[in-house]
Amino acid sequence: MRVRIILALAALPLFAYGQESGHKDTVVEMNEVVVRGMLSDQTRQIKDFYVANKAATTEDILARMPEVTMVRRGSYGSEPLLRTYNSGQVSVLIDGMRIHGACTDKMDPATVYVEPQNLKGINIQTSGAAQVGSNVGGTVDLRLREPVCGCERPVSGALSSGYQSAAGYFYESGQLSFSKERWAIRTNATYRKAGDYRAGGGAVVANSRYEKMNAGLSAIYKLNESWNMKADFLYDDGYFIGYPALPMDVGYAAARIASLSVMKWKPESRWERMQYKVYGNTVYHLMDDTHRPNVAMHMDMPGRSTTVGTFGEAALRLGARRHLMLRGDVSATDLYASMTMYQPGQPDMYMLTWPDNRTIQSGIAATYTVRPDTQSSVVITTRIDQFTSLLTTQDARDQLTVLQEHPETSVNRLLKNLSVAYSRDLSGRVRAVATAAYAERMPTQSELYGFYLFNAFDNYDYIGRTDLKTENAYKGDMSLSYSTSDVLVSLAAFASRVNNYIMGLYEPTWGTMTIGALGVKRYANMGYGNMAGAEAAFVWKAPRGTQVVSTFRYNYGADDKRTPLPLINPFRNISSVRKKTGRWTTQLDAEMALRQDRVNVAAREVKTPDFFKANVRVAYATMYRLTAFTIEGGCENIFDAAYREHTDWGRVYRPGRNIYVQVNCSF
Amino acid sequence: MKNFNKITKTLTFALLATSIFGCKKSDNNVTTNPDPTIGYVKIASGYADGAATKVDVYAKDSAFTGYNKLYIALTDSVTNKYVENAEISLMPDMNMTTMSHSAPFENPASSQAQNMLFPCSATFIMSSMGGTWSLGVSVKNLANSKSGKAMLSLKVKDPAAARMFSFVSPLDSAKYFVGLVPGEKTIVGANDLELVVYRKVSMMSYPADSSLTISFEPTMPSMGHGSPNNVNPVHTANGHYKGKVNYTMTGTWKLAFVLSKGATVVDSTHYIDFTF
Ligand SMILES: [Cu+2]
Ligand SMILES: [Cu+2]
Repeated sequence: MRVRIILALAALPLFAYGQESGHKDTVVEMNEVVVRGMLSDQTRQIKDFYVANKAATTEDILARMPEVTMVRRGSYGSEPLLRTYNSGQVSVLIDGMRIHGACTDKMDPATVYVEPQNLKGINIQTSGAAQVGSNVGGTVDLRLREPVCGCERPVSGALSSGYQSAAGYFYESGQLSFSKERWAIRTNATYRKAGDYRAGGGAVVANSRYEKMNAGLSAIYKLNESWNMKADFLYDDGYFIGYPALPMDVGYAAARIASLSVMKWKPESRWERMQYKVYGNTVYHLMDDTHRPNVAMHMDMPGRSTTVGTFGEAALRLGARRHLMLRGDVSATDLYASMTMYQPGQPDMYMLTWPDNRTIQSGIAATYTVRPDTQSSVVITTRIDQFTSLLTTQDARDQLTVLQEHPETSVNRLLKNLSVAYSRDLSGRVRAVATAAYAERMPTQSELYGFYLFNAFDNYDYIGRTDLKTENAYKGDMSLSYSTSDVLVSLAAFASRVNNYIMGLYEPTWGTMTIGALGVKRYANMGYGNMAGAEAAFVWKAPRGTQVVSTFRYNYGADDKRTPLPLINPFRNISSVRKKTGRWTTQLDAEMALRQDRVNVAAREVKTPDFFKANVRVAYATMYRLTAFTIEGGCENIFDAAYREHTDWGRVYRPGRNIYVQVNCSF
Repeated sequence: MKNFNKITKTLTFALLATSIFGCKKSDNNVTTNPDPTIGYVKIASGYADGAATKVDVYAKDSAFTGYNKLYIALTDSVTNKYVENAEISLMPDMNMTTMSHSAPFENPASSQAQNMLFPCSATFIMSSMGGTWSLGVSVKNLANSKSGKAMLSLKVKDPAAARMFSFVSPLDSAKYFVGLVPGEKTIVGANDLELVVYRKVSMMSYPADSSLTISFEPTMPSMGHGSPNNVNPVHTANGHYKGKVNYTMTGTWKLAFVLSKGATVVDSTHYIDFTF
């Protein structure tokens, strides 16, 4: 077989020129700063807002962002979605690298592999066309922190230790950096262990405990004035991770992620920024039902994903008012998952749930930015992707003869994306941005090849098909922001139509495989889905060391028969007031969501009541010689509210009153 | 060590991923085996006296109640070479002290051996527990035109799970035998489902029957599920009915059959368990 490959360089627009060209809406810009840690006062407030406490996980941080929806199945491993888009429509990348989970039940989103300690920034792209990979819903890119050369102190580090009461949770983390003139190394490790947590109201949620270990090593070497070479390695092991909303837990999960990059940064030159990266990662996942009572039949469900890839990015100055960003990428992902069921006295029952398959992707993207005058700018973004998916083993092809005549035929798609953004300063303080986009995506491996994948959300077995039409979206965005040195107000609204919307369609004549499943659904193109929503943020730097941050979001989704789409969050607000007095910082948080009555009955979705939750946090910071100490403490969910968010699976309540303490020192 | 393994795997995969762009994997065909009986077991052996020929009967497995695919090897007892041109006819016989009966069979379709062997079949309708089986093999060696008959004794066992069943049709009161023709290899996926149907006319005559309509449903009793997209077997030739059975996983499957003649269901009580 021959696969046509398109190779070139393309662009990553959310990078260097974001603020300059002003083509992004403010909310995205805020997010980008969140963890990129840019040191302006205002952005630091927002960072503190998202990183509510030092023990927060990357998914805790994401959960506070207005455009992010977390699909929660357990205390850990929640899946990040953007706006109204589902998981097949959103790409999650680590430092531009593709990584595919090894779990057929989506227990292992890529966000679990990057600890906040190791996070330089989170780039969230919601409007316009995706640059780093074709998708209709947007991209979450977790940028890894880099070691810094030429630091004043050659050796520096930090230690943190914490405890939380609701889950008897321990958190330990350490970080150590070496910095020389031409090279630097950064290492970090985090260990988290939580017991079954106590939900609001007092009930203990069985199988919600987890234990995991994460470590990272990063080294940078200065090749010359403008070129650096960097190597990154991430190690993540989960020993037991409970999923109370699912019939199984993670028995063991492991990820190894490695990359080597060369990067150029030379301001004012024609090729201002360049990066070339080679990477590989592998994820192993083993589900476990031995801790569950009354299991009709025990089963092993291992899965593995392996991805290798490479990409190049370059930012070009074409003149004072024109920029071009290019990106080209190629990757290949191998995926496999199986299930073996054990019944005493019976032979083992074995099947592939993701028949061994390989997806080869190659894409090019370009973003052209032009500023016709000092007030406005236009950003045009294009991306083309060539995808091929095929089954790689005879066993896999054999098994899919159950569903199709020619499982040896590969699935090939050419995906096209285009967006145009126009931004204009209406006055010195008000900026408006409008974006229109067309985007396409590849079906997921589950949508193509899934074989009786049990979905605990609606209790159906899901089956894939390779003749799905390409899902595409027409998207429109508007945003308005007002900023002064003390106040930032931003509003963003979006609407989109997703055609050939892929969903499971009930097949009444097909029998289930999973014991207790209600039926079989097969992925199908469902006409279209309409989506809309809005986000708002308000940041105020009040006098006397007080800061106020508040974010709002509202999402709406319906299919072509006006039936609500599943997993659409209702109106939500998170607000925070923080006051700094000397060495003390005090913060009050309020989180609330309205009830969600718009549910998808076919997906057996249930209505979710409203909730209100309040947190209080106190921190004390001091220095002893060259060591900085922070002691943090607080109480989350003060009123012990028994609540769940609409996108939480299995009607499992979230943790109740949680008292935490945390000691950090850095030297 | 485990990690090292993973790394090598990753590297190999990287190489594979690059190689897939350019090259096509060549199929290496199986070369002809010098000994044609490798992979078979000898289930009976004897001499066809008048034909000066040694008769060896091979099968994939020892003989069992049900449809047995047999492979007859003829050896010239003088030259010790395989005889590749011969007319062969079978006559299975079971001696049960008070009476004897035959069984359904299929003679080799051609007088020309395929890779030294003559494929044929016998459907043993009971095990050796009830009497003594022998297989009569009449041979006419076409090379020297000599004829003779061998009477070979053999043991027939009941398999762990039945591979055939019989029923009496309410329409004609005749007894029908339905056997499962074993496939080459069973996969998780779509498999050929081949059945053979014989009607008992007398103790010695069991002609192939093409008059039935067969439907079936595979289920996995230990889990209580079935499989989609199965194809009911339809008659092709010589009492053989071919369809498709889909196994969605390994393990024990139960194939429940409904046999009809015209609009009348003649049997719906039988099933065959299949484990792989
Ligand atoms: Cu899993
Ligand atoms: Cu089964």
